[in-house]
Amino acid sequence: MARIDAEYAFKGPHLLGLMGLNPLQLTSILDRADHYAEMARAGHRGDRLLENQTVINLFFENSTRTMSSFEIAAKRLGADVVNMPVSASSVNKGETLIDTAMTLNAMKPDVIVIRHSASGGVKLLSRKVDCAVINAGDGMHEHPTQGLLDTLTIRREKGKIEGLKVVICGDIAHSRVARSTTYALHQLGARVRLVGPRTLIPSDAADWGAEGVFTHMDDALIDADVVMMLRLQLERMDGAFLPSRREFFRFYGLTQSRLALAAPDALVMHPGPMNRGIEIESAIADGPRSVITEQVEMGVAVRMAVLDMLSGRAAP
Amino acid sequence: MITAILNARVLDPATNTDTIGGAIIDSGKIAAWGTGVKAAPGGADQIIDAGGLCLAPGLIDLRVKTGEPGEEHRETLETASRAALSGGVTQFVVMPDTTPVIDDVALIQFLTRDTPGVSARIHAAGALTTGLGGTAMAEIGLMKEAGAVFFTNGDHPIEDAAIHRRTMAYATSHGAIVASRPDTASLRGSGVMNAGSFAARLGLKGIPGEAEWIGAARDLMLAEATGCRLIVDQVSSPRTLDLITEARQRGVEAGCTVAAHALFFNELDVGDYLTYCKVNPPFRSEADRQGLIAALAAGEIDAVVSAHDPQPPEQKRLPFAEASFGAAGLETTLAAVLHSVHDGPLDLLDALRVLTCGPADLIGLEGGRLAEGAPADLILFDPDRPWKCERENLITRSTNSPFDGRLLQGRVMRTFVEGRTVFERDA
Repeated sequence: MARIDAEYAFKGPHLLGLMGLNPLQLTSILDRADHYAEMARAGHRGDRLLENQTVINLFFENSTRTMSSFEIAAKRLGADVVNMPVSASSVNKGETLIDTAMTLNAMKPDVIVIRHSASGGVKLLSRKVDCAVINAGDGMHEHPTQGLLDTLTIRREKGKIEGLKVVICGDIAHSRVARSTTYALHQLGARVRLVGPRTLIPSDAADWGAEGVFTHMDDALIDADVVMMLRLQLERMDGAFLPSRREFFRFYGLTQSRLALAAPDALVMHPGPMNRGIEIESAIADGPRSVITEQVEMGVAVRMAVLDMLSGRAAP
Repeated sequence: MITAILNARVLDPATNTDTIGGAIIDSGKIAAWGTGVKAAPGGADQIIDAGGLCLAPGLIDLRVKTGEPGEEHRETLETASRAALSGGVTQFVVMPDTTPVIDDVALIQFLTRDTPGVSARIHAAGALTTGLGGTAMAEIGLMKEAGAVFFTNGDHPIEDAAIHRRTMAYATSHGAIVASRPDTASLRGSGVMNAGSFAARLGLKGIPGEAEWIGAARDLMLAEATGCRLIVDQVSSPRTLDLITEARQRGVEAGCTVAAHALFFNELDVGDYLTYCKVNPPFRSEADRQGLIAALAAGEIDAVVSAHDPQPPEQKRLPFAEASFGAAGLETTLAAVLHSVHDGPLDLLDALRVLTCGPADLIGLEGGRLAEGAPADLILFDPDRPWKCERENLITRSTNSPFDGRLLQGRVMRTFVEGRTVFERDA
């Protein structure tokens, strides 16, 4: 398939976040990812667009699933992948962030995928390297590839984004997924509702592009086309954001009766990993409306698309 | 069953009624009341001649401590109920400072269950933090669903402002009211009575007014930031009332309560190291006491509470600094407030207001007013009757009353709950 080379397409040089991308740019990535998703389903292993290129996964925060997803995506495109998880990182020996970046840069990789626990940490690193940088999650700020894969999953299932009522529920305040996904969906015309306990919803959440911010879950779910549950970090009980898991489940857990308030064909989504019985009933996670595994599948496709669009300096 | 109460001075602060008349009770509800009730209807089963006594709504007390669960030797719900009813209190709210702390749904249900021997209506206040420890949030949403009437950290005000803010925000999103005793632990320190020259003369460490003012300012600003409905509990200083007035002008929904004993006693009543007068917040200066009474007369105080806190003898028969804080108050609240009517600027209706519709409206309870169809929770009392408070004759299990030995005026003669006589004093 010919590569997209239109003027409006996303061109990088980095993917640090979705905020600031316009709908055409977002759509160009989704379209490219769609192509890779179809290819994978057809069993076709794909163009070796990144052959002889080096992709480094530099993860300062633990993550098996995201790192594996990037690794598989890069390898499917023929790249050489080097994984640097936090345990193996020389940061443990006291090396500063900047030194780490400059050291890696000297080895001339083509792409560095970075996850860091500080908001803005990835942007800081991107200024110190010459190659393309992909943000795999920075603090509470953004997780752009997650936002894209969530959007793609919805688009493939529903055929569109515009006009859909999407409810995102959980620890909104600390969620980079909520920020990236809300932005992308809003740019493409969806009506996003954010729901969570009052202590976990930032006061300015209405400015993110959500049409409503709710502390009462039932009110938010009415006629929803998509219900996306966020993972509750159990450390939130420390710091007195929440009383207990059972109270969270009582007021913010996705149960069958709550799901019944949404549209009959509503999708159930979760970025993973799930806390079964705390934010979502097990039966729903495994049920017919759940597209949680499709999200994972779209994750690889989206990451292939982004790697392609950022590092494809060499034409096929 | 139809009961007629006749020949009474009928007082209803909610409607500013002070008139001669009576009330008709039918099946536990008020069927008629006021100046129009001059005779018993045919078919009345019981006719009570009040003989000129005052007929008023049953009193409501928003701050009562008992020892149930955990320290029943101090007070049980049953003994507290009997003491309350003898003082004309037909409804009261129990504080979560028990063992275990009321921080769980099961304990709310335990407190509000139907107990034989308990005729007063008991409501539960839930803890804001687990174990009242001030660090982890309690299950506020679940407890609200189970019927907790408000939430408080009791006698352990939350020290961490961020945590207090989060509990206020969370409680507010569940529609719950937060009550907080204004205090600053580090300023209160190991103080045991009001800071001042009297404390200095006695050689006792003082609790400065700043501890309360700074605590109140902080709580009021947090309420402003979170939109919380706040009750500033047990104000002991007029300066705290100024802060509340200012906050209200900024749109904060702030209510306040004052302990009945703060209207009656001042710091000098500690006297010869009388530990029954050791309370927190402490008895303040006479100027403070007069200021609170003036504020009450001006309508700035929403409710008067007994702050009933039963302490056993072994906790009070100690040197002042080592004795526990707390005073019994259920049976003396009305007399304490009436003192400012007999010897002060307060009029009878205003005195009753802060014991009836004031507390009812503050936390949204049914009752505290005379109305057709309302439950017949009523009292007959003699506002002028003199009596001497003797702690051997108190009903409360722990008799640590600062009023011990005092001459008081104002006595409840009969109390009705749901139309039944649940207390009657021999004339």
